[in-house]
Amino acid sequence: MDSAVINGIMSVITNPHVLLFIWLGTFIGIVFGAIPGLTATMAIVMFLPMTYTMSSIEGISTLVALYIGGISGGLVSAILLNIPGTPSSIATCFDGRPLAVKGEAGKALGVGVVFSFLGTIFGLIMLVAISPVLASMAIKFGPFEYCALAVFALSLVVTLTGRDMVKGFIGAFLGVMLATAGLAPVDSVQRFTFDFTEMNNGFALLTLLIGLFAVTEIIAAAEEVRSAKPFTIEDNVKIKGFGFSWAEFISQKFNALRSAVIGLVIGILPGIGGAISCVLAYTMAKNQSKYPEKFGTGIIDGVVASETANNAGIGGAMIPLLTLGIPGDAATAMLLGGLMVHQVAPGPLIFEKSGVVVYGVFMAMFISAIAQLVLQMWGMRIFINVLKVPKYYLLPIIMLLCVVGAFGNSNRLFDVWCVLIFGIMGYAMIKDKIATIPMILGFILGPIFETNLRRAIQHAQVSPTETFNHPIAIGFVVVTIVVLVYSIIQHRREVARLEAEEAAGAAKQ
Amino acid sequence: MKFKKFAVCACALAMAASMVTGCGNKEKKAATASKAAANAAEKWPSKPITFIVTHGAGGDTDYNARVLARLLEKELKQPVVVNNVTGANGSIAMTQYKDGKNDGYTFIATNTVAMASNEATGITKFGYTAFEPVCIYGKQCGENILVRKDAPYNTLKEFIEASKQNPGKLKLGIAMGGSSYVAALIMEQKGGAKFAVVDAGDGGDRMTALIGGHVDATIAPYTLAKEYIEKGQLKTLATLISERSKTLPNIPTAKESGIEDLTVDTWYGILAPKGTNPAIVEKLNAAILKIVKENPEYKAEVEKYDFQAPWALNVADTKTYLDKQRNHFMDYSKYLTSAKKKK
Repeated sequence: MDSAVINGIMSVITNPHVLLFIWLGTFIGIVFGAIPGLTATMAIVMFLPMTYTMSSIEGISTLVALYIGGISGGLVSAILLNIPGTPSSIATCFDGRPLAVKGEAGKALGVGVVFSFLGTIFGLIMLVAISPVLASMAIKFGPFEYCALAVFALSLVVTLTGRDMVKGFIGAFLGVMLATAGLAPVDSVQRFTFDFTEMNNGFALLTLLIGLFAVTEIIAAAEEVRSAKPFTIEDNVKIKGFGFSWAEFISQKFNALRSAVIGLVIGILPGIGGAISCVLAYTMAKNQSKYPEKFGTGIIDGVVASETANNAGIGGAMIPLLTLGIPGDAATAMLLGGLMVHQVAPGPLIFEKSGVVVYGVFMAMFISAIAQLVLQMWGMRIFINVLKVPKYYLLPIIMLLCVVGAFGNSNRLFDVWCVLIFGIMGYAMIKDKIATIPMILGFILGPIFETNLRRAIQHAQVSPTETFNHPIAIGFVVVTIVVLVYSIIQHRREVARLEAEEAAGAAKQ
Repeated sequence: MKFKKFAVCACALAMAASMVTGCGNKEKKAATASKAAANAAEKWPSKPITFIVTHGAGGDTDYNARVLARLLEKELKQPVVVNNVTGANGSIAMTQYKDGKNDGYTFIATNTVAMASNEATGITKFGYTAFEPVCIYGKQCGENILVRKDAPYNTLKEFIEASKQNPGKLKLGIAMGGSSYVAALIMEQKGGAKFAVVDAGDGGDRMTALIGGHVDATIAPYTLAKEYIEKGQLKTLATLISERSKTLPNIPTAKESGIEDLTVDTWYGILAPKGTNPAIVEKLNAAILKIVKENPEYKAEVEKYDFQAPWALNVADTKTYLDKQRNHFMDYSKYLTSAKKKK
């Protein structure tokens, strides 16, 4: 066993090709992650065939480097442009953008990059140390548990609805409804396809994301250009050192740890994805913080929570991938293909049969995390100059990249049309003050909830008392009810307080 | 203003003129068409070829297509570009490209079971006849019927017997509408099995469901189950291909257990859009056959990755096999589509 570890590590460190590919892969991954419309998954899909002819360790190292770079790169555009570069960085926009507006973009970037690194390392440590244990826990999640988890995650929508809870729920249900378009889970009935075969696959998450975030941003900026308001161009583009102080770093330790655990758990459960983990971590950070009202105005806690979670999810997603052969998300599904092509058979025997390659991959992940830290810290100073570019040059280029990314998703123009339509829809929503985040959550969680509910019902038809054999599921449902009640009460109090303040302010005048 | 009017008139005239010339002399065209076809086939391929793969990168359909594409490049001396157009079990790509450019430079790489089951379940309203089949160039090593190691049955017969004695209690995890579902249907209809059939998602999800104890049995490709069988966590009761695989001769086929109809053969195929020049189709088929039957690199690759023994058919046989498989699936289509309508 030990020789496999040493051999594995040596095969990476002593091979200049592998090191080169790791650095190159991380760099390309960051670029793909940073550009809205291009995602980590897309990077892996594009480069997977190229790795077929490389050696095992070279090929797989490149793929994991792309993955790590891709997930980490999303924070760049989230902070600078308010457009998440990948679905895993949605929650980074919430506080990242306000920080940039306040002139603290450097701090936001620095915090994001460093905590991305820490998140990756946390996930990696868990992967190396206790993956079999975690994997065996992951298998216990069946349809009942997933359904309950989806309900729990959906309930957190309440916390993110802003002032008008009803509008938040409208957004969430609209998202769920959008997700029903296409072939139904389980029985493949065509829903809302209007006999249009393009619709059989439903809408792609990427197109919704680009439409709701990127296109709305562009339309909003276009509005600004027409008005008489002076055009703001951020000026603070200097970064000192990491961009934030040691004291700030220490203050985030609990936040980071909690977010890392959340990211890890969501990563381990196949099928949920980075978008949910970053939003969940953000919501938990907000709920458990001493100053929840500051979230959204530009504090580093939000960025820390989101970025630590999505990077910890990388290690998390690798756990079921390596030990069970079950991919945790779309990107790891591609990695699975890459592994099998190189004769690394994921499953219970992976450490015995392909130990050298596996330990090599762990080492590659570690080096890639460091590469990401170095590249992004250094790149930060370059990225931040993006803020200096006037929006009327920048945003059309972004739009072009988004369209390319949307097309690249499945080589169909249909996706591009979707982006435009969602963009207009998103703009209408923003004008009506319906939050867009619940819509994304509804879109992702709706199918998970429905598929697993229907499967659970099938199981229950076999043995009606089945439901009571699932303590984890029941636990989630109970927690959901508690959280919902508590959140609604909190929300009411908060809104009442804000209204009282405004009334007092108005009375004074 | 005057210039604008002039410009508009000029454009309108130009458009009208182009329409007239566009609706050109049809008779002349037909005569030159057959001559052109023969010429085209001789010169083919004179520019890069595109393979549209109907399933995602990394899966077995994609892998087989890419191996073939790579070796075809060397054989045909033209680049063979592979693009994935995924979704809805391949139906999106098939619908998009079946009536597409048929100049002989775009082909569709798919697996035949997806095509047949899409037609049988009604997701698509067409089958292999909507295309010009080029070649069936490989067969999958087989979907296996899997149970956990501690299950009390060792053969498929025992398992079906057990289900008859406990009707509706043994859970078989399948993907509704897919080949695993068709197999479950056949077991029910022709074998009298009384499983509780539950949906458990695609290959990887079904494996997790089985290992995690959520279902009692499932049907999955051997490549997914291999590691668990070796480790001793799962055992395979039978494989669904029609004859024992050369690379896995120890696994009995489901047919041997007595249910004659219980076969699901997943073949990998290349199709051409309707109307593609038959001479080009034959040429491509010949090139593929050469690679599959004679190229040692191809043999080594597919054996390593997928436990496949090289196997390919000429155009006529391809059509025969496709037809047989389509009829096999369509026999059960009344159950597949009415099952949807019931819900």
